[in-house]
Amino acid sequence: MYRALLEPYQHQRSAIHRLSAGVKAGGALAFVLAIVLLPRASWTAYGTGAALLLLLAGLSRIPPTALARRLLLVEPFALGVALLSLLQPNGLMVFAATLTKSTLCLFCMVLLSGTTRFSALLRVLWRIRVPSLLVTTLALMHRYLFVLVDETGCMMRARRSRTFTRDRASAWRSSASVIAHLFVRSSERAERIYAAMCARGWKT
Amino acid sequence: MNALEVRDLAYRYPDGTDALQGIRFEVAEGERVGLIGPNGAGKSTLLLHLNGLLPEHPAAVPAVHVLGSPVAEPHLAAIRARVGLLFQDPDDQIFCPTVWEDVAFGPLQLGLHGAGLATRVEQALEQVGLRGFDERLPHHLSRGEKRRVCLAGLLACEARLLALDEPTSDLDPRGRRELKGLLESLPVTQVIATHDLELVVELCPRVIVLDRGAVVAQGPTAELLADEQLMLAHGLERPHILRHRHPH
Amino acid sequence: MHIPDGFLDARTAVATGVLATAGLGLALAGVRRTVPPRRIPLIGLAAAFVFAAQMLNFPVAGGTSGHLIGAVLAAVLLGPSAAVLVMSAVLILQCLMFADGGVTALGANLFSMALVAPAVGYGIYRLLRRLVGEELRGRLFATAFAAWCSTVAAAISCAGQLALSGTVPLRVALPAMGGIHLLIGLGEALITTLVVAAVARARPELLLEQTEPRLQPRYGELAARGVLVALGLAIFVAPFASGWPDGLERVAATLGFEHRGAATPVLAAPLPDYQFPGVGSAALSTVIAGVAGTLVAFGLAWLLASLLTRPSGTRAHPGGRGDVPGVSRAA
Repeated sequence: MYRALLEPYQHQRSAIHRLSAGVKAGGALAFVLAIVLLPRASWTAYGTGAALLLLLAGLSRIPPTALARRLLLVEPFALGVALLSLLQPNGLMVFAATLTKSTLCLFCMVLLSGTTRFSALLRVLWRIRVPSLLVTTLALMHRYLFVLVDETGCMMRARRSRTFTRDRASAWRSSASVIAHLFVRSSERAERIYAAMCARGWKT
Repeated sequence: MNALEVRDLAYRYPDGTDALQGIRFEVAEGERVGLIGPNGAGKSTLLLHLNGLLPEHPAAVPAVHVLGSPVAEPHLAAIRARVGLLFQDPDDQIFCPTVWEDVAFGPLQLGLHGAGLATRVEQALEQVGLRGFDERLPHHLSRGEKRRVCLAGLLACEARLLALDEPTSDLDPRGRRELKGLLESLPVTQVIATHDLELVVELCPRVIVLDRGAVVAQGPTAELLADEQLMLAHGLERPHILRHRHPH
Repeated sequence: MHIPDGFLDARTAVATGVLATAGLGLALAGVRRTVPPRRIPLIGLAAAFVFAAQMLNFPVAGGTSGHLIGAVLAAVLLGPSAAVLVMSAVLILQCLMFADGGVTALGANLFSMALVAPAVGYGIYRLLRRLVGEELRGRLFATAFAAWCSTVAAAISCAGQLALSGTVPLRVALPAMGGIHLLIGLGEALITTLVVAAVARARPELLLEQTEPRLQPRYGELAARGVLVALGLAIFVAPFASGWPDGLERVAATLGFEHRGAATPVLAAPLPDYQFPGVGSAALSTVIAGVAGTLVAFGLAWLLASLLTRPSGTRAHPGGRGDVPGVSRAA
């Protein structure tokens, strides 16, 4: 699910991409806050917001299919919960407003993540004085995410080549053992990273 | 003053097995020395002693001296700037989000900022042939490029002794050629632990053979590596480059 | 369980934001105090690990599959403070880069999945460990039941947040979210326990108590954390716990919340699956279903732990090279 569908587009050079990460993040936050705080029936406002986002999306030159795919990935949960809201008087209004709000905000965040690199967002967090331990954790997590995902893929393929039964129990056991090995390898790698940090003078 | 002096270095793993015994050798400034031996000989363990990562608890008498200073407190911070250790897996060494930040990590710890820092990083990247790689993400780099980023990080600290752990493993022929050329061009002292015997012949006039934690031979590369008996006795072999010498 | 933007009202979002910030702050302080510097990189790696582990499929039935959440796994392997930090990092990344979970709902999501889930899970884990002792079977049982409880607790928190915002009435949200997660929790319990068992087989030293605070527990801090979680849960669950069908309005009137469009919840029948035949009140039947679910989960957890620690197939792991940093096993 998290195959970073928009990562290939983060390196483009559109007008939006070139804006500073702080501006983009701040703008996205402002937009989301505005939409969320609007009274439920502000349909004209929603329309304006949608138009604005479509304009920005066009300027960003990210293929609309990629954006649509990202949007559709997260919609199901929103849809599911929104459906539950029907079960009350005035439910239809709540349902429609909630779904509209969440789709608009979703689109906004998808645009943000498609035009901004996580490393740039981290620098913004650092500047606004988010605790360094949290920023370091986020940075290391992002850095090694792809390494671990690749390792997981390798291990799953290796397991599957040695599995001759198709039953669920063995699928569960092999997934679990892959996760366990991933943890062990991650622990060992963390030790080596610590050594590499010390080797370059990391002051703890 | 020698770049590196090792006198009677011994080390035991936490579970009690002997890793290194009675290691004794010197490396002059500007020299390139190969460190070879079978798997498990203790090459990596030895390298970790060169910047004080090992032993975990400082010995009473420091066995290793780098550029005249013992590898022990209170010299450790300075030693770690002078000794650049290249780890086997570049993914362990590149831990920052972008190339620029990773190369800048070392100098930052040393207290550089602003324009001075930027210049240092730029020069290091230039030296390894990675100009313009500032904003690249580590996981988008090839293996060879990652190795060069690691080297840039060490050069940015103005390391005077490079300790390299298997620098050409996992590299394709082009990556290997580029790295070899790079190492050749760097005037710093180098200790290269490797299985790549051809690299040793091409780069290192002197070689140290390690087996089961002890130095079993050290001397001129051409002589030792051509000694088939010695090579085979210690889990190695005579490299091809020395087998088929064509008169020019 | 990630609530998107637009589902929560301002009050709930802000309140949970404050609680989440406080909880995360406490966890950061806890990590700085109890985790030695050499294990700091491990927390970042663990966050990446949880993220990667969440991507693995556990086939359930007919093409659907379950996924790990990982709160209790992180707590058992790394300790509670680190687990809060790990889960927070994962949720923040998911929110910012994958739009999974709204920005305005980040506080609420952090509260449910990065505070309630690890706190409840770890609390129950420690409680049970004290009762069942040191051996592996007891540990696995504690892990299994704790994982189930943490999932259900997070779901209850989520349902409460939705209800307080007036988006979904509590009598619908609680059975729906809570009910589904009674089942999903079983999957979480199973996966978490299988993983812990596998780690125990491969590298038992990683499960040693060194991950827990070695210092005297700071009772002040423990109390603060407990109050935080309790307060948050109370706000969301109290209306229901009062047992009256109109408990929510009563609380709303007392606290001065303005009535949303869906002011007076007419007694809409909740999803019939979660009602016991013959029991009239919807609220009471949900409670009974919850209690029954808990007992079933308890029993299943014990069964699982026993199955995993049957005498056959346990290999002792020979002592490895230990904690020498950076030493590759090949050279």
